[in-house]
Amino acid sequence: MKVLIIDDEEDVREIAKMSLNLLGGLDVVEAENGQHGIEVAAQNKPDVILLDMNMPILDGPSTLEALRTNEATKDIPVIFLTAKAMTQEIEKLKRMGATGVLTKPFDPTTLATQVQDILKE
Amino acid sequence: MLSNRINLKIVHKGAILVLVPLFFELIFLGVLTELLHRAEVEVQRQVRSKAIISQANTLSKLFYDAGVAMGGYSITKSPLFSDRYDKIVRQIPEDLEELRKLVGDNPKQKQILENLQKITVTGLKILGEAKSAIDDNRVDVAQFRARHMYKEIRSLADKLQDELRGLTEDERRIEQESPEKQNRSRTILKVFLVGGVVANILIAFVLLWFFTRSIKNRLDVLTDNSFRLARGQPLNPPVGGGDEISHLDGVFHSMADALTEAHRKEKAVIDNAVDVICSIDMDGKFVAVNPACYENWGYTPDELLGKRFIEVIAPQDISDTIKAVRAIRAEKSNLQFDNRVRRKDSSEINVSWSAYWSEKERAMFCVAHDITERKLAEEAIRASEHRIRTIINHMIVGLVIVNQDGYIESMNPSAEKIFGYKAEEIVGRHLLSLFSDSKFFSEHNESDTTSFMDTLFNQALNRIGEFDCIKKNGEDFPVELSISELKTHEGERYMANILDVSERKEVERLKKEFVSTVSHELRTPLTSIRGSLTLLSVGAMGALPDQAKKVVSIAERNTIRLIGLINDILDIEKLEAGKLDMVFENTNMKDIMERSEQSVNTFAANNGVKLEMMPTDAQVYADGDRIVQVLVNLLSNAIKFSPQGQTVTVAVESAAGFVHVRVIDRGRGIPEQFKKLLFQRFQQVEASDAKKKGGTGLGLAICKGIIEQHGGQIGVDSEEGKGSTFWFRLPPARTDSTVVVQPQETRAS
Repeated sequence: MKVLIIDDEEDVREIAKMSLNLLGGLDVVEAENGQHGIEVAAQNKPDVILLDMNMPILDGPSTLEALRTNEATKDIPVIFLTAKAMTQEIEKLKRMGATGVLTKPFDPTTLATQVQDILKE
Repeated sequence: MLSNRINLKIVHKGAILVLVPLFFELIFLGVLTELLHRAEVEVQRQVRSKAIISQANTLSKLFYDAGVAMGGYSITKSPLFSDRYDKIVRQIPEDLEELRKLVGDNPKQKQILENLQKITVTGLKILGEAKSAIDDNRVDVAQFRARHMYKEIRSLADKLQDELRGLTEDERRIEQESPEKQNRSRTILKVFLVGGVVANILIAFVLLWFFTRSIKNRLDVLTDNSFRLARGQPLNPPVGGGDEISHLDGVFHSMADALTEAHRKEKAVIDNAVDVICSIDMDGKFVAVNPACYENWGYTPDELLGKRFIEVIAPQDISDTIKAVRAIRAEKSNLQFDNRVRRKDSSEINVSWSAYWSEKERAMFCVAHDITERKLAEEAIRASEHRIRTIINHMIVGLVIVNQDGYIESMNPSAEKIFGYKAEEIVGRHLLSLFSDSKFFSEHNESDTTSFMDTLFNQALNRIGEFDCIKKNGEDFPVELSISELKTHEGERYMANILDVSERKEVERLKKEFVSTVSHELRTPLTSIRGSLTLLSVGAMGALPDQAKKVVSIAERNTIRLIGLINDILDIEKLEAGKLDMVFENTNMKDIMERSEQSVNTFAANNGVKLEMMPTDAQVYADGDRIVQVLVNLLSNAIKFSPQGQTVTVAVESAAGFVHVRVIDRGRGIPEQFKKLLFQRFQQVEASDAKKKGGTGLGLAICKGIIEQHGGQIGVDSEEGKGSTFWFRLPPARTDSTVVVQPQETRAS
């Protein structure tokens, strides 16, 4: 399973990547902002995208919108990974097409499992 | 006195005075009438007697004439005698009949009359036979008959004479008797007349004397009493009796009693009055003063009597006082004036005078009331009013007073500042004009203003409501407003306390932004730190030396603790601001328990504590995530404080109106004095607990906040050394099961 991580924080990307790869055994590709993320997604066709909320250039929701309108990426599940999420926002994001929402700081030992659980649902 | 004994009223006495003589008068009149009647009868009888005698004589004469005529006829056979005889014979029965009428019912005379009739019939028969014999020319027979007849006639005539004499005798006797009788009657009548008149006069006089004596004497007493009453002297003893006079006398006595009582009361009132009551004569001297003058002015009444009134007045008020007194005399009416009285000890008091000039008594009657305290109170009120006015003018809160319909009557400077209006610009306008609502509703439309006031009362009467107001320059701004009723002497008013909360709202917004930023900015680096440490500690980077592993583990554990602390601080901030928003829905307690169990399973296992979840099918109306947060917190605590090998039990019971959840541990229990502190921030049973057991000391405070926001309760039952039972109560599932979604920040785990 291939996971695309779109986050502007390199450290977070790195930890997530290690968690998913080293502990979860998943393939990981990265993008440092929304715009780049869309390109990477289109190229790599990941099985799931972990998407940060607040990012420069293109923030999470806009990225999601763009992904959903792109034929190549419209069916890829997107899980938001955010340090701040309101219940209402979660509902809104889900209505927009987000598959799930995970909060930061995450537990590296269970991140892969959590992602897989959300996909199963 | 008889009349007194029988208690006759004057009316009755008057009636007796008239009726008794009248009664005797009537008797007297009756008797007189009877006597007159008798005299009348006597006269009539006398007349009749005379008539009977005359008639009897006529009859006797007729009878002789008949005999003479028959004699003549027998001798002469002349028709002259015959006619004469026939005429007499016809006349006799008529005269007899006449006599019968006159005799009437007199039995004796009736008897005589019957005899007379018989004799007459016999005589006329004999005369008739004689005439027949003469007519038949049987002279011999006639002569014989004449002789015989003559004898018989003689005898009959004698008898007739006797009878007639009897009759006339009888009548004459009566006639002779009558004047005597009449004389006697007249004498009786005279005696009776005189006697009756005298008796009547006597009775009248006796009665008159009798009644006047009883009335006049008492009337004199009554008159005397009226004078005594007027002079205020004691009255004569009661006159007695049961008539109008005694009643009037009774009234006089009651009046006298009432006057005495009134006078006594009046004296008591004056003597005990707190105010000085006095009268002042034409020369301005005291002629009467009540004892209150000592208490009020320090003078005894004796000291004041004869003293000039003006001498007790404070010198600075004398001229005004003289003017006031002159005005009272001139207007001859009641007047009030205030001045200062100089007491005997030279101190001065404020006095309010109520004075009345009596032209009749040529004196002024005054009541002097000490108003020093009132003046002080008035001053205190003025000072208090000034103080309140100063407070109102300088308070930060804007005050707007409106009438019952919401029209502005006044506004304090703060309100002027808040709204940018001068009070005079806004007074008279409707309160609505100060609200942003005035952009959509008109203050000149009654239905708009009414519905606005209804909303305002609904949301802010005696409580604080939040509204948007509008300044004179059209700028909208948020306010906190509360309406209170204000009872004034002019009627009911409403006071709007208005606080411009623009700045506070701005601070709140900044704070929210700050919290959001902190949340994000702290969590992001912590994600990296925590991730790195966990990856290290789980050996993702390869096995670490034991020493390194230990240090990394410490770093990881404290990072997690730091994350927990940040989460808790954010939660508690939101709870205190009432901003920890929740999604209420019907939730199974079983699910909540399972989710909580999963969260603490590892922790329990690590601590060697068993978890026991009692089966339940209870449903609550709650935010499931938040209740999981509460239950996890309580379970973590229970696990932390349970000795190894012990069990922590969660039991749920449905009770009337709520669901009761208990977390039971068999730990060391909680000392009584800590129970109250437990649910406060940063409280732990032992100061070292935070270090030993981990935790921020905020958990139970957050639990309390969450449960209370559900409308529930939280508490603990514990006995030191025997374990603790933390419990909370939640509202049961609703039948209408509406989901209430409120904005809420999710809790990062």
